[in-house]
Order: sequence, then C-alpha cells, then structure tokens
Amino acid sequence: MILNTCSQVMSLANELEKKSALFYEDLAGRFPQNKELFLSLTKENDHYITQIERAYYGVITDAFEGCFAFNINSETYTLKTELAEKASYSEVLGRAIEIEEKIIKFYTEAAEQSKSLMADIPRAFRMVSKKRVNRLSVLKSLLDQGE
Amino acid sequence: MGILEEPIKEALELKNYINGEWVESKSEERWDVINPATRKVLARVPMSTKQEVLSAIEAAKEAFPEWRRTTPLARVRCLFRLRELLEKNFERLSRIQTMEHGKTIDESRGETRRGIEMVEVGAGIPSLMMGYNLEDIATAIDEYVIYQPLGVFANLAPFNFPFMVPLWYSPFAMATGNTFIVKPSPRDPISQVMLAELIEEAGFPPGVYNLVHGGAEAAQILMEHPDIKGVTFVGTTSIGREVYKKCGETCKRSIIQVSAKNFLVVMPDADIPATVAALLTSFFGNTGQRCLSGANLVIAGKDDGFYKRLLNAFVEGTSKIKVGYGLDESVQMGPMQSVDGKERALKYINIGIKEGAKSILDGRKTNISGNYPDACFVGPTIFENVTPDMTIAREEIFGPVANVIRTKDLDEAIEMANRSNYGNAAAIFTSNGKAAREFQYRVECGNIGINIGIVAPMAFFPFSGMKDSFFGVLHGQGRDAIRFFTESKVVIQRWF
Repeated sequence: MILNTCSQVMSLANELEKKSALFYEDLAGRFPQNKELFLSLTKENDHYITQIERAYYGVITDAFEGCFAFNINSETYTLKTELAEKASYSEVLGRAIEIEEKIIKFYTEAAEQSKSLMADIPRAFRMVSKKRVNRLSVLKSLLDQGE
Repeated sequence: MGILEEPIKEALELKNYINGEWVESKSEERWDVINPATRKVLARVPMSTKQEVLSAIEAAKEAFPEWRRTTPLARVRCLFRLRELLEKNFERLSRIQTMEHGKTIDESRGETRRGIEMVEVGAGIPSLMMGYNLEDIATAIDEYVIYQPLGVFANLAPFNFPFMVPLWYSPFAMATGNTFIVKPSPRDPISQVMLAELIEEAGFPPGVYNLVHGGAEAAQILMEHPDIKGVTFVGTTSIGREVYKKCGETCKRSIIQVSAKNFLVVMPDADIPATVAALLTSFFGNTGQRCLSGANLVIAGKDDGFYKRLLNAFVEGTSKIKVGYGLDESVQMGPMQSVDGKERALKYINIGIKEGAKSILDGRKTNISGNYPDACFVGPTIFENVTPDMTIAREEIFGPVANVIRTKDLDEAIEMANRSNYGNAAAIFTSNGKAAREFQYRVECGNIGINIGIVAPMAFFPFSGMKDSFFGVLHGQGRDAIRFFTESKVVIQRWF
C-alpha cells in the first residue's frame, strides 16, 4: 500500500515501534541474561512514539502539504517479528538486526520525503533513526559476542 | 490503518450555552447536521428564537463589568486551562471536524492546531495589551495610553473551518476583557459545542462566553443590537458587504473576511516537484473550500517545455488524489461540505466547459474510495486554456477546481491578478529573489506567498485581505486583534 498522508505515516511509525517493542518484550522473556537490555529497548520505543507524535501534532497545520507529503510503500516495511519456539540467541539477534535496519530505512525515507514540511517532523524522524543506528551497533556487537 | 473510530455514535440534540448554562432551545425549527461523506445525521441544531439570542446578549452584557475587572493574569489563566483541555481533546475535536465538515483527518488536525495557537497567543495578553506613555509632554505633564475592553463582541462563523475561525477572535476578545457570543454555522456546529464545553470546564465565568445556534435571523439580531460592540464575520462577499453596512449603521466595529479568487503564479525557474506538492494542497486541500485556496494557476513565460513539464506533473499528481471519507487516513480529499456546495462546483465546471475552457481532469464523475453515497463528492478538476475573462477565472467557485492560465511574463501575471475584484491571497513559485520581491511589492493582496501554496498567517500575525476580500480596518489575529478588541484611552496628567 502506498502511503501519501502524514496521518498514515504516523500510524505506520506507531505500528513499527509497537511491533518491535513487543518483539523485544518477547526476547526479554526468552533470554533472562539480557532481560534488562531488551526491556530498555521497549521503553525507548515508547519514547520514540512520543517524540514523533509530539512533532507531528505540534506543528501540523492546514497550510502545509500534509495530504501530499509522502510516497511510501508500506509493504517494504513489514516486520517479521514471529519467532520459532526454539529460536537460538543468534537467530533472534539476527532478526532484531533485520527489524532495526528496516525501521531505520523507514525513518530515513520518511525524513527525506518530508523535508519540505515543517522542520520538526523530518528532524524527529532523523533523530529516531540516528538513535536506532546506535541500537543496531549494540545488537551487532551482541551477535559478535555470541551467547 | 483504516477508518478511524467515529467519536459521534448517535445523533446529538444541540443546546445553546448561555450564561454558563446549557439551555435547550424552545424553537421548533431544527436543522439536521449531516456528515457529508456518509450522509448520516450527526446532530439536530436549533434555529434559536429571538428571545434566546437576546438572552445571550444580556448574559454577555451582564458578565462584562466583572470580567473586565478580573486581572489580565487571571483571565489568561482560564486560557491556559483551556489550552490544556484542547490538547487533551485534540484527536476527538479533530475527528468531529472531519465528521461534520468532511475534511481529511490531517486537515482537521491542522485546524485544531491552528485553533490552539490562537489560544496560546491570546494568553500573552498581559504583555500584548500594554499601553505606552511619555513623560514631560509639557513641563511636569505626562501622557499615556491605556487599552480598555469595550463590551460584548459576536462572531458569525462560517462552515469551512467550523472549529478554528471562531478562535481567530474569541481568545483575543476574552483575554482583553470583553465578553463573547459565537453563532456557529448551522451546517457544522458540533465542534463549537465541544469547544464551549471545554471553555466551561476551563472555568470562564458565566456569561463571558456564550454560544447561540441559528441562521440568518440570529445573525441579524446580533448585528443590529446596540449592546453588541463589534462583529466578526467570515463568509461570502455578498453577505459580508451587508454585514459591514449593518455594522456601520449601528456604529459597530467589524472584521469582515470574505470571498477570494487567488492567483498562484509559477515562474519557469520554479522547482517542479516542490511546487506541485504545494499546488495540490492549495487547490484541493479542504476540497477547495477555503478563502486561501488556489483558484487560478498562472504559468508564466514562453518556455513551452517548462509549461508542459509543470502541467503534466500537476495533472499526474492530481489524478492520483484519493477521494473519500476523511476518517480514512489514506484519503487526500474529502467531500464538499454540503449538497449545495457540490451543486455550486458542478455549475461552475459546466460553465467552464461551455465557455471553452479545456477540461483536462473532470471531477463531475469521481472515483470515491469506499462505499459512500456521492451526494457531496466532487473530484479534483483542472481546466486548461482558461482566459481571465471567463466566469470560472473571475468568480469564486469554492470547490476543487484549478484554472490554468498562461501568461507571457511576470508583468502580465501581476496585472491579471490585480484586475481581480478580490485580494485575499496570491503566491509566486520561483527561485528568483527579484521576481519574488516584485510580486510581493506589486500584487494587491493581503496575504502573499513566496513558494507557499496556502498563505495562512500564524496566530501572531494578522490575517489580511484587500479589495472585495476584506471589509474593515483592523484584521483578525495578531496585534490587529488586540487593537480591534480594545479602545485606546489617552490620559494626560498633571499634579499641582
């Protein structure tokens, strides 16, 4: 589905954050040794939703191109969050990396497409994307370290 | 993603809010408030009796002396509380606007935000309302100016921005110490009812803010009554002219913001993708039902290649616009607010064809996303080969119709815009600063956009307008509003 409106893109951002938060909650239950880390990621996701929605609701006006700002294919950003019951630690980390890469790509694309809107919106997208790049490094280093 | 939940589940019986009480109207005449997309009845609105309008005036008059004596700080604390309540109810308010008006959810949220910004600016009254002074105008004599409120003000609100427009005035009026009566458009008064509920919850004293439903008769009473000190009106030029005359006859102040025919001029050096996004919003946002909408798209210059590239991109973008119910997040353009509005737009499309304009996109038959009755839907329409003398290029259509006109250069475009009776907004799209300055300098319009499709001034600037788009002296919003809602008193003092 092609997303054109701000409202749709905000809903997708919300969905991606919530879906990935549930994924990390699942990991926290499966891998108690990194429970705190995974739970902190879910908390961060809540924070990202707040930041993005605050930017959108704070600056949206009838005057800017809210209904014509985007051209994003939502199918590109479908997250695979289901895990096999006996998925290994490295498998789930691999999946987490995939998820994060997809979400980073989403925010990067959304920021690029919305750059002519009020600055707060692309800035919020870029900020979340940047923080997720840091998260990605953490996940990759965990994968490198193995168990 | 999909259709957002509707906050109104069953038809409401709307009441007046007078002197801090919700009062059922004794009138037997009631209008249905209809969701233009679904055609469901959302509410029944009374055409209030003369006595009810008079009692609102009386309540506002009674409340004035006490409210005027309330300190500006205490007055704006009510606005601060209102602002918080508006934020808390942001989404509900926005969805109600979509239901009662038809606009998309992004547009409704934009309208809610604009309304809140007015409250925020009004909350700055303790600073904004300060007078000025000069000591020693003569030896040991000082002179100063005090801004004082006048009494009761009324707003006759339009249907196209049912929530926001009354907020162009009421926060400024009340913060400066006046009392206020709003008469919402009977077509879509529900968000105003909700606003009044929040005003009540915010703790404004009884009588400071009053809401009275009705049509032309209620408006007439408000315009004629000697206890009303000023009227603000947003609507058509023909009615606005009458309101202005009536206010003059009864020595009232007035802000009359009326019709438009806005020219958007694109120069051959404009950035096409960015310009097209702005054009789509300008011509088709709010389904063309706003006084800042683009109406005539003037493509300047002899560069045929640029003309074709811009027009193709504009037509391509327009043809993809998804039309449907505004609570569907994917919808980019909602229905017209009423059957009358649709008929008016169709009438002008037919006139355009009859007068020889070339229809590139015809909105008379449109693909509606979802299973909704087509009673109010009109698709985006583009006419090419339009000449400035054609009816569609001169008269306000108030619908999603873009007329493409070609001129040889900027001079011709400016002269064309200046020949219009209207002077609400005009915009130029260019990367040339000299052309932009020339446009800004010469065009006779109150709101000028440079690479901006909808020239909507922020709450802290006046919403200007010229010629047949505005009657009055001071405009709504910003410092003009502070002056409009206050009288200046000069004091010269000497102590023996």
